[in-house]
Amino acid sequence: MNRLRSLEFILGAGLSGGMALAVLLSDWLFAGGADAMDLAMRLTLPFQSFAHPLGTDPLGRDVLARVILGGQVSLTVGVLSVAGAAVVGTFAGLIAGYYRGPWDLVLMRWADVQLALPFILVAITFAAILGTDMWKLIAFMAISQWVQYARVVRSATIVLREREFVLSAHAVGVRDHAIIRRHILPNAIAPVLVLMTLNVANNILLESSLTFLGLGIDPLIPSWGGMLSDGRTYLQTAWWVSFFPGLAIMLTVLGLNLLGDWLRDAVDPTTRSQR
Amino acid sequence: MRLRHLASATAVFAAVAIAPVPQAQAAGTLTIAQAQDPNNWDPIATFLLSWGAVGSNIFDGLVSRDEQLNLKPGLATSWEVLDQGMRLRFKLREGVTFHNGEPFNAEAVKFTMERLLGPEGAKGPQQSNYTSIGSVEIIDPYSVDIVLKRPDPVMITKLAGYGAMIVPPKYVTEKGSQGFGAAPIGTGPFKVTGYENKVHLTLEPSGNYWGGTPKLDKVIFKFIVEPATQVAELQSGRVDIASQVPIGMIGAITATPSLQLLSTTGPTVTVARFNTANGATKDERVRKAIVMAVDREAIVKQILQGHAKPVTSFQSTLSFGFDPAQKPVPFDPAGAKKLIAEAKLPPGTTVSIDFASNNVIFREVAQAVAGYLTAVGLKPQARPFEMNLFTNDIIPNGKTGEMFAMGWGGWTFDYDNTAYLMYHSGERWNPYDKDPALDKMLEDQRTIADRGAREKALQKIANYVADHALELPLFNLDTYYGVSKRVKGLVVPPDNRFRLIGVSVD
Repeated sequence: MNRLRSLEFILGAGLSGGMALAVLLSDWLFAGGADAMDLAMRLTLPFQSFAHPLGTDPLGRDVLARVILGGQVSLTVGVLSVAGAAVVGTFAGLIAGYYRGPWDLVLMRWADVQLALPFILVAITFAAILGTDMWKLIAFMAISQWVQYARVVRSATIVLREREFVLSAHAVGVRDHAIIRRHILPNAIAPVLVLMTLNVANNILLESSLTFLGLGIDPLIPSWGGMLSDGRTYLQTAWWVSFFPGLAIMLTVLGLNLLGDWLRDAVDPTTRSQR
Repeated sequence: MRLRHLASATAVFAAVAIAPVPQAQAAGTLTIAQAQDPNNWDPIATFLLSWGAVGSNIFDGLVSRDEQLNLKPGLATSWEVLDQGMRLRFKLREGVTFHNGEPFNAEAVKFTMERLLGPEGAKGPQQSNYTSIGSVEIIDPYSVDIVLKRPDPVMITKLAGYGAMIVPPKYVTEKGSQGFGAAPIGTGPFKVTGYENKVHLTLEPSGNYWGGTPKLDKVIFKFIVEPATQVAELQSGRVDIASQVPIGMIGAITATPSLQLLSTTGPTVTVARFNTANGATKDERVRKAIVMAVDREAIVKQILQGHAKPVTSFQSTLSFGFDPAQKPVPFDPAGAKKLIAEAKLPPGTTVSIDFASNNVIFREVAQAVAGYLTAVGLKPQARPFEMNLFTNDIIPNGKTGEMFAMGWGGWTFDYDNTAYLMYHSGERWNPYDKDPALDKMLEDQRTIADRGAREKALQKIANYVADHALELPLFNLDTYYGVSKRVKGLVVPPDNRFRLIGVSVD
């Protein structure tokens, strides 16, 4: 059990950490950017030349540079959208769970309504009306996903507010916001962290699918979804154009999922006691 | 949850082609894949090339055009031009019946034209091509005069167009436009025997066609939206003709021994038009610089793999009004940089290139154009829009960025059909240009009856547009099909209108 779990951690942290490191260093690694076009070198095979280790795309741009630089967009979208949703959701969950009453009622019914709407459909509608760029995409994902965090935090808060240490803090006159900050939030945050890790992976895929559908970000900015979309018609003749961005998505998502699983087990007291 | 992530991440790779397994098809049956179902088969309600591919086999016009675009007799055996071009007299073919047995005669011609020019025609896009017609006069059951309100030198050609396809009066009156649009009947070599919206349409020989007997027993049009799926179906032998082949998949077709790629000069010219009212492209110098900065030859040769020809104006070499003497603007990045410096653009001025998100070819071209613009110091941006939004809102309402993609197929192969709609002020497709001098040139050429003089006038317009850099001319994409080698006798039509009467299958 233990060994398996630490393998999960090593693999997960290695994959997602390695990818994050490569992406963080990408501006330095590929100082020339990913847009250098060379039509004469189009569709160079991978593993043939030192200049283009993963080959070139139909416009003669370096696939390796685009995959690594493309990670900037995909990871930024993944991380920021999740952070936004988590902050909003946690706040809403604390309010609803701690104060109950009308706050709870309004926030949770709102959450129910939002959960009933199919995401992709709403996303397509919004993209058509507002146009698309990276920040709108992040905002839209955050707005549509805060509900999950709110629910998790709310149920934890409802339990916590009846616990003796909270009741006694209340009895000695500690103010509400201090109780929430010092006693409730630290005890409710663990599941949020797990959810965040898993959702980063989810949102990287979502960004890729929306960009693939032409609803995501500017096709001129390299991103994994955009590269998949560019390479779609070349699958039979030049597999590497879409294979490597696809591989990057898969490894990152796999790494984050392993890490998320490990984290869930690590913070869960019931699994901890079995150790 | 975790499994789902993994599954969707790996699904990306699953699309890699599986080795083709040829499948036998029924003898005498031809299957054609095309992307779009026009939904309404009423000829006056459509301007889609996808209609023409099918409809041209169901309907006939008074005149027709062959695969070389020469005018030929259709339901009219001969015609003459009277009253200085104001009256066209047609002698009609006798003994022709519609698929339901209704007779074809002068009444049917009058009914067709009056329906096209009346309130029913006003609902569709075809009417605007025929507004020069004043009235239709029946001389005898097999002679009919079309009287014009103003000279229209292209009218005879337009009578081979969609809107002038002859329809059966009794049937259309009984069924109404909707019923007719769902179950069309004409005089053509094939009749519709099955139709399932957005799935397939089946044609069978109509029996007594005046122009001969088709060699095929059955033609099935399958509507397959995704081009990659069309090619996969072609490779597996389930369809014989794939009409939408992305440039990137041409290699996959030529590598399969049982398939071939057939191509010809196409009707559609692609340009990137400029927003001449707002943004950086309001400045003529910037527009000229962009035209100089883009290497069209390289785009055609490298990205489009030679399946297109660079153009100098918004028309192909087949178009009436094409000027062989018009020289392309040479690729000159240094000159472009100089012009941009003269224009003194504020730093960081962006140039947006807008296009419909389903246009896979332009998506690639836009990225190449952006590369060229970056090279001369502009800051390009690419914006894909959902197709319907793009054509019904963004362009007509003037909401585009500095540049926007436009493909126009002049099915008349007459520059008037493009130039007037693109450059005359107030036209639907022209949200920006308002140039009285250009308007006057466009109006004047419509009144010239002499062919040579009108050609000169059209060429002058093309040169005027290039001098003012109203668009970035790009290319005339070939019409090409992926075709199974079991198909015999198919001549690729430049206007996308299949003429299936001479086609057979092994």
